[in-house]
Amino acid sequence: MQSPDSSIIRLEGVHKWFGNNHVLRGIDLALNLGEVQVIVGPSGSGKSTLLRCVNLLETPTLGRVTFEGRDITDIRTDLNEVRTHIGIVFQAFNLFPHRTALQNLTLPLEKVLKLGSDEARERALEQLSRVKLEQKADAYPGQLSGGQQQRVAIARALAMQPRLMLFDEVTSALDPELVGEVLQVMKDLATEGMTMMVVTHEMGFAREVGTRMVFVDGGVIVEEGDPREMFASPRSERLKQFFSQIL
Amino acid sequence: MSGALPRPQEGLDGPPDTRGPTAPVPGSIFALGWLALGLVILGTIAIILVHAQRSGPISQLCVDQKIEPRAEGARGVCSIVESALSRQETFVLLAGIAVGVLAMVGGFSRYRSMPSRRQREHCIAGAVLGIQAAALAALMLLFRGGQVGAFASNFLNLSYVSGRIGDFASAARITLTLAFTGEIGGIVIGLFLSMLALSSRRVVRAPARAYINFFRGTPLIWQLAFAYFGVALGLDVGVISPLVIAWAVFSLNTGAYAAEVFRAGLQSIERGQIEAARSLGMSYGQAMRYAIVPQAVRRVIPPLMNEFVILIKDTSLITVMGLVASQRELYSVGRDIYSATYNATPFLMSAMGYLVVTLPLIRLVNAIEKRLRSGLVSIAGAS
Ligand SMILES: Nc1ncnc2c1ncn2[C@@H]1O[C@H](COP(=O)(O)OP(=O)(O)OP(=O)(O)O)[C@@H](O)[C@H]1O
Ligand SMILES: [Mg+2]
Repeated sequence: MQSPDSSIIRLEGVHKWFGNNHVLRGIDLALNLGEVQVIVGPSGSGKSTLLRCVNLLETPTLGRVTFEGRDITDIRTDLNEVRTHIGIVFQAFNLFPHRTALQNLTLPLEKVLKLGSDEARERALEQLSRVKLEQKADAYPGQLSGGQQQRVAIARALAMQPRLMLFDEVTSALDPELVGEVLQVMKDLATEGMTMMVVTHEMGFAREVGTRMVFVDGGVIVEEGDPREMFASPRSERLKQFFSQIL
Repeated sequence: MSGALPRPQEGLDGPPDTRGPTAPVPGSIFALGWLALGLVILGTIAIILVHAQRSGPISQLCVDQKIEPRAEGARGVCSIVESALSRQETFVLLAGIAVGVLAMVGGFSRYRSMPSRRQREHCIAGAVLGIQAAALAALMLLFRGGQVGAFASNFLNLSYVSGRIGDFASAARITLTLAFTGEIGGIVIGLFLSMLALSSRRVVRAPARAYINFFRGTPLIWQLAFAYFGVALGLDVGVISPLVIAWAVFSLNTGAYAAEVFRAGLQSIERGQIEAARSLGMSYGQAMRYAIVPQAVRRVIPPLMNEFVILIKDTSLITVMGLVASQRELYSVGRDIYSATYNATPFLMSAMGYLVVTLPLIRLVNAIEKRLRSGLVSIAGAS
């Protein structure tokens, strides 16, 4: 039996091996509605793997992931249905290059949510204007800048009306001058109350927008807490060292 | 010359032509090269055509060349021999060599000192054309010293094919129909097989791999013979046209190769694409259908067309089956006339038939590959 749980997502004892590579070594994590969880840590520490275990793009080798009280690591779960509630944005955008920006949004609306084409189009345009790209609706991804592509990718995830959004280093592949426009979209989203898990190297964003922060190193959560407090006074040696390297 | 640097012209699309103008000397070297080649090729053709007008009994020259006066098509063969050994032809070949050598010497000795790129290119192109003309003419001179009569009567006796053009045309139709329907069948089978071969489950993968490896591992000619003699005749499955059996075998065989082409195409799509599709809630099938396959299709068009060209030629293997006259494709028709006449001209006719189809296709594949490489297709042309 499941105990009553106010958190939208909960990871319990999650381990992940890739072959003999023990990447996640017991992750426990829970997130309440409306929180913005930032995840920081050195390269290769398992942040992406952790995030991808949340929507089961990677299957945890051990442990349980609970979404809205449902154990989604249960093999009988309809993952396709669960994933419609959890949006994810990747570092590499991963837009469909053979479809226009608008078609990138309408495709899952029509095929997964089974919306009519008019309704899908309306909802897609609404999301494109939310990221200020309605005038680029008919452009192909190859005709957009990196920042624009990433905003389309965010709009594509948002159009599904997810209840949780995952971001995996979404600004890392961008030219510095394009980072701001994407971070702004994410800030607006946080302000509107979206629950978010954000893997990022943007420490300014983490401090300003994050309501919680975890520091991952070597596949375990080394330290977690309020971002401002953690920046002001890191407790563990490893976090101090990490900050000294990147700040 | 003024010291001002040239500027792009206003109102012109594309980059300006920076090759510069040509000049009389390189221009004439270029023209000489073409002249030499034209002399040899067009001159020879013209001489053959003029001699082809002749009628009446064959000349002593041809008799000396061991052409049987009463043999079928002797007049036509003789006119070719006459033209090849004519004084006009001697002149054309020697003139071709002379002009060609002139272009070659002139071009290679001067191209370094040419002031513009176009002049240099004209020198080099003229010299190369000259070499080609001189080499071709020299080869033909050498050839004239040999058994021209035997060559012409064996390969160029048009009387053996002139009355059979209709047969060759319907044979070409059968060749194309077999290749085209076989390719279509193969694409359908191959797409399906490639999905199975990419499965993460061994029990799904194994039968697909077995199928693919079997058809890739045995000769097509064996597959055709086995299906026809072993299965259709051996098991007495009723009257099935050998062409239908051939179509089935070509589909099955092409399916194995197409499966590998599709598998490579599907695997070449970045992993992020399927991850994006799946994380939007699409099922594996939906992700394949809407995100992966449409992208892979573009990348597999050139290799599939290459397979098609190969299949066009491989249809000739159905000659191992017992074909009645109306079922013969290009190769069989040529070989058939050969068996009846012991003359090789029909073989050349078959080759012409294949080339008429395959050469444009090969050009098309190259053009598409070039377009794909330049990345134009990845932006434009969404389905
Ligand atoms: N699909 C995979 N197969 C095998 N090994 C993997 C796979 N994905 C990740 N790994 C390994 O898992 C470890 C953690 O990778 P992960 O991408 O989660 O790190 P990260 O913290 O996101 O690093 P970065 O900051 O560089 O993105 C690495 O050693 C990586 O090589
Ligand atoms: Mg990562």
